[in-house]
Amino acid sequence: MIDPVILQQGSDWRAQAEIFDEIFFVFLALGTLVGTIVVAYTLWNVYKYRDDGNRSDEEFDAPVVGELPTGQGGPKAKKLFLSFGLSAIVVISLVVYAYGLLLYVEQGPDTGDEGDIEIMVEGYQYGWAFEYPNGHTERGELIVPADQRIDLNITSRDVWHNFGSSDLRIKSDAIPGDYSETWFAVSSEDVEAQGGEATYRVECFELCGAGHSAMKGQITVLPEDEWEEWYASTGNSSESAGNSSSISASGVGAVAPSGVIA
Amino acid sequence: MSGLPPTTSVKRWFVTTNHKDIGILYTITALFFLLFGGVMALLIRLQLWDPTSQILSGLAYNEAVTAHGLIMVFWFLSPFAFGFANYFVPLQIGADDLAFPRLNALSYWLYLGSGLLLAVSFFQGGTLSAGWTIYAPLNVPMYTPSIGSTGAVLALAMFVTGTTASTVNFLTSIHHSRAEGMGIMDMPMFTWSMLATVWMMLFAFAALLAVGLILAADRVLGSVYFSATEGGSLLWGHLFWFFGHPEVYIVFFPALGVMLELFQTFSGRRLVGRKWVIISICLISVQSFLVWMHHMFLTTINLEIKTLMMATTIGISLPFDLVVFALIYTLIKGRIQFTTPFLFAFGALLLFILGGITGVFLGAIVLDYEFRGTYWVVAHFHYVMFGGATALFGGAYYWFPKITGKMYDEFLGKLHFVIFFIGFNAVYFSMFLGWETPRRVFEYNPEFQIYHQFGTIGAFVLGFSFFIMFYNFAKSYVSGEPAGDNPWDYSRTAEWAVSSPPPLENWPDRPSYASGKLEFVKDYVPDGGPAMKTDDNGDVATDGGDSHSAHISEYPYWDKHPSHASIWPFALSVALGVTLFGFSGFADAVTVELGETAMQSSVNISNALYPTAIVAGMLGLLYTGVKWGLEDFYAPPSEFAERWPFNGVEKVKLGMWFFLASDVIVFGAFLSAAIFVRYNAGWMTWSPLTESLPGLINTFVLITSSFTVILALVAARRESRQGLLATLGATILLGFTFMAIKLWEWNHEIFDRGVTISANAHGDPIQASIYYVTTGLHGIHVLLGLVIAIFLFVRAYQGHYLDDERPIEYFGLYWHFVDIVWVFIFPLFYLF
Repeated sequence: MIDPVILQQGSDWRAQAEIFDEIFFVFLALGTLVGTIVVAYTLWNVYKYRDDGNRSDEEFDAPVVGELPTGQGGPKAKKLFLSFGLSAIVVISLVVYAYGLLLYVEQGPDTGDEGDIEIMVEGYQYGWAFEYPNGHTERGELIVPADQRIDLNITSRDVWHNFGSSDLRIKSDAIPGDYSETWFAVSSEDVEAQGGEATYRVECFELCGAGHSAMKGQITVLPEDEWEEWYASTGNSSESAGNSSSISASGVGAVAPSGVIA
Repeated sequence: MSGLPPTTSVKRWFVTTNHKDIGILYTITALFFLLFGGVMALLIRLQLWDPTSQILSGLAYNEAVTAHGLIMVFWFLSPFAFGFANYFVPLQIGADDLAFPRLNALSYWLYLGSGLLLAVSFFQGGTLSAGWTIYAPLNVPMYTPSIGSTGAVLALAMFVTGTTASTVNFLTSIHHSRAEGMGIMDMPMFTWSMLATVWMMLFAFAALLAVGLILAADRVLGSVYFSATEGGSLLWGHLFWFFGHPEVYIVFFPALGVMLELFQTFSGRRLVGRKWVIISICLISVQSFLVWMHHMFLTTINLEIKTLMMATTIGISLPFDLVVFALIYTLIKGRIQFTTPFLFAFGALLLFILGGITGVFLGAIVLDYEFRGTYWVVAHFHYVMFGGATALFGGAYYWFPKITGKMYDEFLGKLHFVIFFIGFNAVYFSMFLGWETPRRVFEYNPEFQIYHQFGTIGAFVLGFSFFIMFYNFAKSYVSGEPAGDNPWDYSRTAEWAVSSPPPLENWPDRPSYASGKLEFVKDYVPDGGPAMKTDDNGDVATDGGDSHSAHISEYPYWDKHPSHASIWPFALSVALGVTLFGFSGFADAVTVELGETAMQSSVNISNALYPTAIVAGMLGLLYTGVKWGLEDFYAPPSEFAERWPFNGVEKVKLGMWFFLASDVIVFGAFLSAAIFVRYNAGWMTWSPLTESLPGLINTFVLITSSFTVILALVAARRESRQGLLATLGATILLGFTFMAIKLWEWNHEIFDRGVTISANAHGDPIQASIYYVTTGLHGIHVLLGLVIAIFLFVRAYQGHYLDDERPIEYFGLYWHFVDIVWVFIFPLFYLF
């Protein structure tokens, strides 16, 4: 299942976007094919057996009011099961195929010797905060190097958000008190192609309040050396102080009781 | 009050309990909510015309999105289907009415009342804005503070209450009142679909009721379930989707039933593989409860569970494949008549095929990861749910002649279909094209503007098409051609065997299928004696059905006429609506300052309207409840009926069983919530909040009261009035003892230990919330039992129940159930 184009580029990992696009293409092609056949067959039969008043089928056995159903199996049950069996094979094989790729997505690839960068993502009303391993916190924009796997640990400070980037085909729930994970990696070729700095739109995919529509962010991917330079300059930034503890501490009993027995 | 005023009288529509009247009320009310939800949809579409437009504020947009979803799913789709179910299920199974006509009227009035409560919530500082999925913790007052948000949640709870009553009613009717000779496999497909629907509703809506009650406690009483970081958000997700996935089939199945009927009627063919279609429908109903976590693939659930849910999801698509192929093959070799009803049913099939195929995409987890929260999901479920509902409009045209006696205008009907179908695909197919847009977002990527503009045009076309339908129905009702009893060439089901509209009690004589086809049997009525069909030997003939001959003496029905009118369903619904309206503003209007003891605490009321409404509403509930109990309302049981698999179970007892089954799920959800949160908090980090001794004493008190209820039944059977009074009195005393100990315990917790519903001096606040809310729900059940017990006691004092002890027996069922629940609560909250 390794895409030959990627192999030629000298790395053997696949981004989630490529896997998504492959599965989506297969499903779309087969779905369109099956849908077209079924709908066309149905339409053709509905036209063929329309009541034009000219047919005089001897075998036509009109139902009458008050009859009880007879022949529960019916003469066409065999044909029914044949179609059913075929559709079951199509559906099951599609999902088994997709499941193999799910395992890859769940595990994540090994992108090389550099190791992974683990970043804490915290959603809040209405924006995203990114905390780097060195404690530096960035708001709104996640700046990462190319050719390296970025592991995201995602949570929320207040309500349920969903961190997602359609361009990168990544998405994960941001749930208060809980940590979900996803990963992405952008190859340096892609960064080159976008002129030395690749940017991807980040949106919130779970209704989170009045500002949900405007809850945007950005992922910026830099060539590795540029990023190293930038990252070195962030060390001991003051903004980072105590942010990770606020991630876990906020929310516990934070809701002011509005009621009586308080 | 058994006399029913004529249909021209306004009074009739407030007092009627007849299933056909209620069906009409449901249908018309549902169409009103279609307009209401439709206006919300058009507001959304207007805002989406331009990603920079400022027609609505962010909050108002969220309110429109939320109200659109809630109204269409709850107040339109299901009630519209239940309008037809009310009207035609009793006709299709050969019953005179539903099993409990007054309960049926109550269901309707609760439905209408809840809808009005929802409408009022818009004017209580804005309605709920958390989406129809109402995810936590956005649903708690800290993030959605308006009174209207609470009002909408309570409206939903009221709606579900009515729905539960309706569910019990339909289950009892279909399992208890089928005409002689109509075995369960012989039922028309619409009735079959409704049966599967109500079985799913029995369990799914109970889960929704539980989660709605917990949310109401969070919003009104200050508990902290859904704001808790110990799994509060996921708790909502699990409970909501445990309801939410079956809900998809709950709204789709009635439409499927209409499709199954209409495909047969307008092709002149009988359903292909009927038995397998029925088996598929039953399988889907069971499977629907095993797939809910596929709505949560991006949460923290692990790969094993995801894999399992993927497998069950694919599993549930397979029976649907079979049903779709059965529908298609039914048409082959038919004489297909392209009438308006058929066009809608056939259109529904095409839309459903597209919805089904795009659903398989969502079943593949990798694709779901990307589709989650996007317009792909929005488009998919509109194709499935609204696509299915397309068949319901077909049903409206199909049954219009039966309900009104007039024929609709065929040309306008077809015009409606064409415009509807074009508009539908314009608005929803464009969503597939612009699928990368996040759901519920209006400041979207301008790349997709062309699709959204196309969709907005489609939405207005779609909306317009319904005015053709309204005009058609109004015009035809006034001046349409008389339709006759059976305007269709190939109809089969029994509603077409009676006049249009059918008479009040449906049948000229007793309908029977004993000979293999519908016949009206003139029963032999002895002088003033019960109607009884006899065979050649003069014995009561049962034909496999249960004739209840042993009970005939208990039904002195030959000198009574069935009742068709009662004002109490309406009155009870008004009282509940007023109570819930009061509770919506309770948290804002009433604050309690705790002192050292209960006596030193003070209550501050900032707005007298809401507390007054609560008191007035509760008094109203008590008054109407008692009046309901005292009313002489007679709904005759069907003497000759097919009752598989509940042969020999009396009607009210069967209803009680169904009600208790749903209550099991309600308590199951509360206890599951307690276990889930405790597991997330770390099981062993919690120890019981309370001392175990009061709980232990209460366990003994309740178990003893179960024995006294059994003794009460024995006393009633022995016709001992004194024995009955003594045992009922003992039960009431034990119940009050339980409540007194409970009260002491709460008082001790609050004032001596600092443990309240939202604060806990000894640990997690959520632990205190769970303790109060769970034991509180049980306490309300005990209290309700006590009210009924006192009612029975007074009636027993007046000399009732000695000749008919069944009310004592049914009360006993309820009381035992409440005691059994305590047996589960005690170890969870007092021992471990």
